[in-house]
Amino acid sequence: MKRILAWAGAAAFASLASAAATGSAVAAPTCENGTIPVGAVATITGIVNFSDAPNGAKAVFDALNAEGGIEGCKITYTIADDKGDPAVAAQAARDLIDNKGVVALAGSASLLDCAVNAGTYVRRGVMSVQGLGVDPLCFNAPSVAPVNVGPYTLTTAMGYFADTVLESEKLCAFFLIIGGTEEAYQEAIANYEKLSGKKIGFVDLTLPAQGDLTPYLIKSRDAGCDAVVTNAIEPSIVQWVNTADAQKIEGIDWLFLAPGYTEALAKALADTEQPIYIGTEWEPYTEASEANANWDAVMTEAGLPKTAFSQGGYLSANVLIDVIKGIDGAVTRESVTEALKTMEPISHPIAGSPYVFGDAPAHAPMQATKVMQLIDGEWVLKTQDWLVLPQQN
Amino acid sequence: MDGLLTAATAGLSAGGAYAILGVCAVFTYRLVAVVNFTGAAIGATGAFAMVALIEAGMAQFPAIVLGVLAGTLTATAIGVVMTRWFSGATASTKAAVTAALLVGMIAVGLRLTGGQDAHLFPAVAPGSAFRFAGVEVTNAGVLTVILAVVFTFAAETFLARTRTGLRLRALSERPMAAELMGIPVRRLAITVWMLTGAMTTVALIIIAPQRSPNFASMSLLVVPALAAALIGAFSSFRAALLGGLLIGIVEGLASGIDRFSQYRGAVPFIVILAVLLWSQRGARWDEAR
Amino acid sequence: MKHASFGSSLAIVLSVAAIGGLSLTLLSSYWIFLLTAVFVVGIALQSLGIVAGRTGMISLCQMSFAGVGAWTTGYLNVAGFPGGLPVWILIGGLAAVPVGVAIGLPALRLRGINLAIVTLGFAAAFDTVLATITFPGQTSFNQVARPALFDSDEGYFLFVLVVYAVIAVALEVVSRTRLGAAWLAVRHSERAAAAVGVSVPGAKLSAFAISAFIAGISGGLLAGYLGTLVSDNFSMMQSLALFAVATMTGAHYVHGSIAGGVLIALFPELMRRLNLPQDLGAVVFALGAVQALSTGESMAEALMRLFRRLFPRAVEAPPLLDEASLPKPAVAETSASALDVSSLTVRYGSVIALDKVDITIPQRTVVGLVGPNGAGKSTLVDAVAGFLPTYEGSARLAGAPLDGLSPRRRARRGLRRTWQTTRIAPELDVGQYVQLASGGVSAHELDALLAWLECPAASTPIAFVDAGTRRLLDIAGAIAARPQVLLLDEPAAGQSYAEAVKLGQRIAEIPSLFGSAVLLIEHDMDIVRQACSTVTVLDFGRVIASGPPQEVLDLPAVRKAYMGVDGEAEAAA
Repeated sequence: MKRILAWAGAAAFASLASAAATGSAVAAPTCENGTIPVGAVATITGIVNFSDAPNGAKAVFDALNAEGGIEGCKITYTIADDKGDPAVAAQAARDLIDNKGVVALAGSASLLDCAVNAGTYVRRGVMSVQGLGVDPLCFNAPSVAPVNVGPYTLTTAMGYFADTVLESEKLCAFFLIIGGTEEAYQEAIANYEKLSGKKIGFVDLTLPAQGDLTPYLIKSRDAGCDAVVTNAIEPSIVQWVNTADAQKIEGIDWLFLAPGYTEALAKALADTEQPIYIGTEWEPYTEASEANANWDAVMTEAGLPKTAFSQGGYLSANVLIDVIKGIDGAVTRESVTEALKTMEPISHPIAGSPYVFGDAPAHAPMQATKVMQLIDGEWVLKTQDWLVLPQQN
Repeated sequence: MDGLLTAATAGLSAGGAYAILGVCAVFTYRLVAVVNFTGAAIGATGAFAMVALIEAGMAQFPAIVLGVLAGTLTATAIGVVMTRWFSGATASTKAAVTAALLVGMIAVGLRLTGGQDAHLFPAVAPGSAFRFAGVEVTNAGVLTVILAVVFTFAAETFLARTRTGLRLRALSERPMAAELMGIPVRRLAITVWMLTGAMTTVALIIIAPQRSPNFASMSLLVVPALAAALIGAFSSFRAALLGGLLIGIVEGLASGIDRFSQYRGAVPFIVILAVLLWSQRGARWDEAR
Repeated sequence: MKHASFGSSLAIVLSVAAIGGLSLTLLSSYWIFLLTAVFVVGIALQSLGIVAGRTGMISLCQMSFAGVGAWTTGYLNVAGFPGGLPVWILIGGLAAVPVGVAIGLPALRLRGINLAIVTLGFAAAFDTVLATITFPGQTSFNQVARPALFDSDEGYFLFVLVVYAVIAVALEVVSRTRLGAAWLAVRHSERAAAAVGVSVPGAKLSAFAISAFIAGISGGLLAGYLGTLVSDNFSMMQSLALFAVATMTGAHYVHGSIAGGVLIALFPELMRRLNLPQDLGAVVFALGAVQALSTGESMAEALMRLFRRLFPRAVEAPPLLDEASLPKPAVAETSASALDVSSLTVRYGSVIALDKVDITIPQRTVVGLVGPNGAGKSTLVDAVAGFLPTYEGSARLAGAPLDGLSPRRRARRGLRRTWQTTRIAPELDVGQYVQLASGGVSAHELDALLAWLECPAASTPIAFVDAGTRRLLDIAGAIAARPQVLLLDEPAAGQSYAEAVKLGQRIAEIPSLFGSAVLLIEHDMDIVRQACSTVTVLDFGRVIASGPPQEVLDLPAVRKAYMGVDGEAEAAA
């Protein structure tokens, strides 16, 4: 009963609002059939599961729809799984564009969506507000602008953190190179060298996806590195730290990227004495801060687990909603694309940089991180303020 | 030179793991005539079952026991499939069956365990045994090598000296004849599967903390394992043991040399190719061809 | 045969054209996009079908070959190589050939299982290499350019369809050539293939080379289809899944490859429609492959069986005998004996299987070789035909030494053998087999020969022929080659008495009609008496008697050697 009343109230409010909108000169989006189709391509089954990101976006859209949508327009949100398989990813994108008629993509989180589909998005004039950009094309395509910092910028940021906060003198880097990420990581390290004015100890691009890590840790010890940054993902980080402990390595700060920032990892590495730092993509999700309040509320309402990935989905959905609200007239693929290209930067408390899509050949709007340290199985905020990368020219 | 020794020593613990899996592969082939592509996946199933139990709050020791049991059961299930439907099939067909099963097992395994999730694999043998060439040789590494050696000699002795061993050999060579001789073929075959299942699970539980504990990557340890078994021509346990250690050491060496380390994943392939081209110089015409 | 080949090629072209026409008129461009993938995967499956289905080798690295083709296409695109996509794809396919041959090399001496491990190792190694190489043009957003004519979804679909049809027809034609028959023969038995003069290494290498070429083409088509690629397109798991599906559907059949393409390309769509998880596909494929392996019948084969049951094919009547058309002798008469075996000794460890055996077969005669089971008769055939790794003594064919030659070289020089258990590939038809074994006779000669031995018509599939008749075909193939010497290993086993007598007559006529000398191993003494001019008796690896049959077979020692065994056998029965 209560729900029906709320619904009726919302509808009444919406109609009032739309009446007001048509009556005045304020910009107001309109839509056909009362719906705005939006989609996401995400890796859900297969070698990783990034479903938290699109589910986070869905929670935001659901909450919006429950309040009457945008000027009465409900967002219909389709999540397509790509299985980490390029052929399936291509199909998924075509299904969303051709059959679902999406006006834009939001909350996508995939190992290879950008690499496979960025070209298709350009051809079809669809923009993706990527919830979690992973492959380098996410940061190097006209049609994609992620709401996350991404592994490449984050690598630079962690180097910057090692330089400014930990006062490291010899940073070394190990990367697992998959699917043509080599150039992007090389560039990230070059940026670090420019920012810090220091030479990198060494860059090892040969980290194996599986296999023994002992030779690599021995190498970093013998080279005399005082900090090591690596793009190892979650299970490999556990292996990394276990191997460091087994080899009784001391005096090296271990810097990891955002995928390691999970509670499972904290639990798995509760016993280690190694100094472990991880750069986050957004406001640290383990912190009950003001910035997280709304995200926390939406996730709780939707009954979703609170993970970093879900912040990405949440943020991208909010960005897209804000952009669509600013459209004057019909919400179509063309108008949304145009709005994204011409949008003003949007600041959101859970991100350290303002988000902007814009009309550039490549996008990496997010340039800020907060660093967490793992102490006795708990994540502790190391940098109170956002660590923002200085702009370079 | 010292750097190479360091790199080689660092590869030794991986070599121990390959050796133990390789010896298990030879054991399976000699006794039930199956080249088992699911060998490591069986072990991974058991290891992840153990982790699931520990994460559910069970104490380490009973969890390990139940994990080994889970690996044994998985192996038994595959053994039942193989003996029930494929006992008369050619070695190629049986290998194809296990290759196909591997595809399904990895999909199911990833689904159940979550590819990117970190799991707490307890260290069964924590600490390090000694320091050599600047590398801490871990207890786990030493344990895998010892286990591989023990299993090698146990398997050899079992096959050469015991009555059951002799019967089992007869079984793999002439299953029909063995059946006629009154040997309970199916029961013995299942026993072999159970044994190798338990063994690989133990091996993977020991090495898991030092590995990227992901179901797919653990299952694909079967590639170096089969390479090791192939070095032993699927008949010599000792050669498989040495082959496994060799592959580990060469991999370690490769990652010590910058120019090659990017391609260290190619090491098993190159080792297999070299060994095969050398060992199979003359054409052989046996009944199977 | 030419006719059959043309007929099935036409059937392929017509059905592909029908699929293309119907799809283009009825389906939306999204479905056309999906269907394109069906045929791209179908081509990859056909490439696997050559190695796995036809030649019987397990290849777990097929997508790696495709990766070579795809990356080459990408490079040529970025480099602006003249000729456009069709040329790039062709070069991509050719680039994959050396890789295929390199992988095939260890296959020459390896049995299936070892090869499976080598190919899996290669797939893993290729993964690590490919993962480090960005697809050409990806970072600069330079997508693989399609020809203007085929740029749209519909256009590219047509392009892929045409390539598919060309490859399917080419494979259909090849499958009816000697090479195609050689692949099947190797799959069924390498020994039997070598015994009819097929080069086993040649067959395996050509299978790998052609397979890699076609896989490379499918990779190039994929590059044009998606515009850009990632290494995951060609990962080891993709190769494994492809193998599972190929096993499940029977990729060496045209309809099997399309069914497999439908499974791989459309399963994700089905899962999307049903809201089911995508990884279910891998489980279904795995179970499907295991099921197909357990029944020994892929989906394509099951379909064909069903089709045959619904529309039984009229079995052609056996040809009528026309003695004038029988193949003429091809061996020049010389003064040397056809086969001269001297002091042949074979040891298995400490057991002496043959002990200084001497046998001479004069030109154009039939010599019998008799003796109880285990006397060493088949060992002698194996040794002379080249299937034993070592033996002492020597064998000369028309005066030329054979020792040290491979079975195939001996076969080529004019020494043919038959087998106690038939090893003819059941996928062939009667005519194909005899042509393969003979190295080529005219259709008239073939029909005449089949009639002379009372074999079924040339168009009859071997699978329809009973085991006894297959042994006759074995003999027909060997006779058609008109060798210097024919080693017949118990040809009458499994024949009725009347058939055996008839066969004996035919064997007796072989030297005069076809010019070959015959060594006949036989238990049936009536046939031996009937056909042989000389008989040699073996017991425990030694020659105990030799001479005209009527004298030798009545010797007490011979009777004892035989009766001893026969008596026991009767008592046991």
